Amino acid sequence: MAFWEMIFYLVSMIVYALAGGGFIYSFVFKNPRVVSKITMLVCFGFIAQTIAISARFNATGHLPWSGHYEYALMGGWFIIAGTLFIGWQNKQLQGLAVATVPLVLIMLGYGYMQNPSLTPMAASLKTIWLYIHVYFAWLSFGAYSLAMAAGVVFLLKQKSEARETPNPAYDRFPSLGRLDELIFRYVVFGFITDTIMISAGAIWAKDLWGSYWAWDPVETWSLISWLIYGITIHLRVTFGWREKRLAWLAVAALGSVIICFFGVNLVVNTSLHVFQVR
Amino acid sequence: MFNKLIKYLSSLRFTILLICMLGLMFIVGLWVPQQRLLRTIYLEWQRSSPGLVSFLDTFGLTNVYASPITITLWLLFFLNLSLVLWQRWPLVKNRIKISDANITDPVTSGGFPFRNSYPLPPGLDGDKIIQLLRKSRYTVIGDSAGFYGVKNRLAPIAFMLFHLSFFLVLLGGLISVYTEFIGYVDLAQGEYFQGELARYNSRPSAKLPEFGSIPNVSFTIRSIEPRVVRNTVTGISIKLADAGGKVHEVGINTPYNTDNSSFVFKHLGVAPLFVLMDQSGKEIHGAYFKLDVVKGRQDTFRIGDFIFTADFFTDYELKDGAHTSKSMEFANPVFVISVERDGRKFAEAAVPKNGAMTFAGYRLEMRDMPFWVRFYVVKQRGLSILYAGFALATIGVIWRLLFYKREISGAVRDIDGERCLVIAGRSEYYKSLAEDEFNKLFAGIVGEGLKLDR
Repeated sequence: MAFWEMIFYLVSMIVYALAGGGFIYSFVFKNPRVVSKITMLVCFGFIAQTIAISARFNATGHLPWSGHYEYALMGGWFIIAGTLFIGWQNKQLQGLAVATVPLVLIMLGYGYMQNPSLTPMAASLKTIWLYIHVYFAWLSFGAYSLAMAAGVVFLLKQKSEARETPNPAYDRFPSLGRLDELIFRYVVFGFITDTIMISAGAIWAKDLWGSYWAWDPVETWSLISWLIYGITIHLRVTFGWREKRLAWLAVAALGSVIICFFGVNLVVNTSLHVFQVR
Repeated sequence: MFNKLIKYLSSLRFTILLICMLGLMFIVGLWVPQQRLLRTIYLEWQRSSPGLVSFLDTFGLTNVYASPITITLWLLFFLNLSLVLWQRWPLVKNRIKISDANITDPVTSGGFPFRNSYPLPPGLDGDKIIQLLRKSRYTVIGDSAGFYGVKNRLAPIAFMLFHLSFFLVLLGGLISVYTEFIGYVDLAQGEYFQGELARYNSRPSAKLPEFGSIPNVSFTIRSIEPRVVRNTVTGISIKLADAGGKVHEVGINTPYNTDNSSFVFKHLGVAPLFVLMDQSGKEIHGAYFKLDVVKGRQDTFRIGDFIFTADFFTDYELKDGAHTSKSMEFANPVFVISVERDGRKFAEAAVPKNGAMTFAGYRLEMRDMPFWVRFYVVKQRGLSILYAGFALATIGVIWRLLFYKREISGAVRDIDGERCLVIAGRSEYYKSLAEDEFNKLFAGIVGEGLKLDR
């Protein structure tokens, strides 16, 4: 790790930890007024994370695109960027960070325990396809994470509204109907970018490995998660799965994406994908 | 009975069941070592647990992606998809059709969750509203007494395109599998290759195509230059000249493509020129030996009765009496060679390029140290169809889910003595989003009318 990268990486982790705690406080202690202030804290953490990425870029000459550590660093950035963007577009959605900030915090913590050493860009990654493939992978992961966050908020808000005295912390969020639609919109966005990611990956694999599809564990698992989200869309559109069922699906389906990015290499070590091995 | 069967086979429930079962098979493929993909691990496992492996073999679970169960599931999946497309086509045609029957009463017609009415400023009439709707990319029929507008009318066709893309991927995949040639060939700097089948490596053996021919190629390897920074391979440049003398640069991510074939760089080795001389200095034997010694591997070669074991150090140093490498960079390449005959070791020495070692009255000189590369050679047809399938899937999914259909039914009416635009609207997928969109659209149209009025 470069010196400033380490400093700002730790700063972003500390800030996200504080923000995560703050969000949980605002929900548990029914204090919705602090959400905007905590969102500012998330902005600060995001700036720190961006500086950490820039410091690493300065040291290595390339964006952090490979290895578990770099995936955590860059992937977390995409998720927070998405969270802040939608919170900026619609203030009612700032509270989605209650789910995405802890997720990113866990990712950063996990990444820190992996190999963060500075390495030159491996030859296999020197191609335009890397940017297309990985960029769309992160967009899809970000969108699926936001769908999960919207799902969590939907379930909490629904539970709160069923009580005699609903928690005012949920008043800031959109109505249940709008949240339900948001979950579906994030799933759709994720599915589109996932489709592009898989197609781009297949074309890249042909040049790099000589085969567009080799049933590599990560390839296979990305297909499984794509199928799961495809089923989710069909269940919503054709079978009318909405609200609670859709929210639970969005939360559970994210598990398949986490397995694809971080879990497969823990179980099998035969993947050609360079999440861990250089 | 038959109709019931067809109904079930074409149902979404059946699709979901098949996808879940395929997903389960893929998960099995991740856990159980597969014969074709992990040959070495599979063979080791077979030796240690023959009973279990034989049991799994029986059900094709060690070759899961091509097992009868998986193939049956795929067949059923494509049958299901065909039936769905066949049944949906009339529906799709119906949904993209536009006729006077679409013009309904915006107040009483059902199925429109969005309803609103807007008082019209004096300058805004029905024709102008329709004109403004057309400007907002709505196809509109009817007049101010009653009109029907639709945006992205053809969106349902994208459903067909997305699902048709699966067939293109299947077709491209099948063509590529049946026309596929796969082989490995090791070529050193300066070697000439004419695509002879006999020159492909015997292990693993070449896979010949069911249809078509092996790659028809001819080239010479001009140079091989690996690039390493510390312990990371940052590139390799392999220059080869084809029969016409044209030079092609091959590297990681940039294979040599010709005759529907790709020569993909897979492996690097060193091919030193060793010459063995006797005491008088007479050359007994000399040859280039392709040694697989990079990344700490050990290899052997034989000259006469002597067996030479070679270890290769890219950036050699002798540290605390041990041979080591400072990095993976080819900064100071040295072979450490030990010689034996009839099981008896004679000598061991570090031999740099243009260096030598002596043993038992002989002298072994290394006069040159070029590299060799292993190419993964694959020839297959049908890739353009496969890529067209990917492209169609991407276009289909974007078109269907982003450019979805919005419909409006409207009329200009007098309500309580005031001229109003009465609107009913609906959209696919996104009810709230459409409500916002319709509100914005008609507020804009009425606002435009106010501007005209001024």
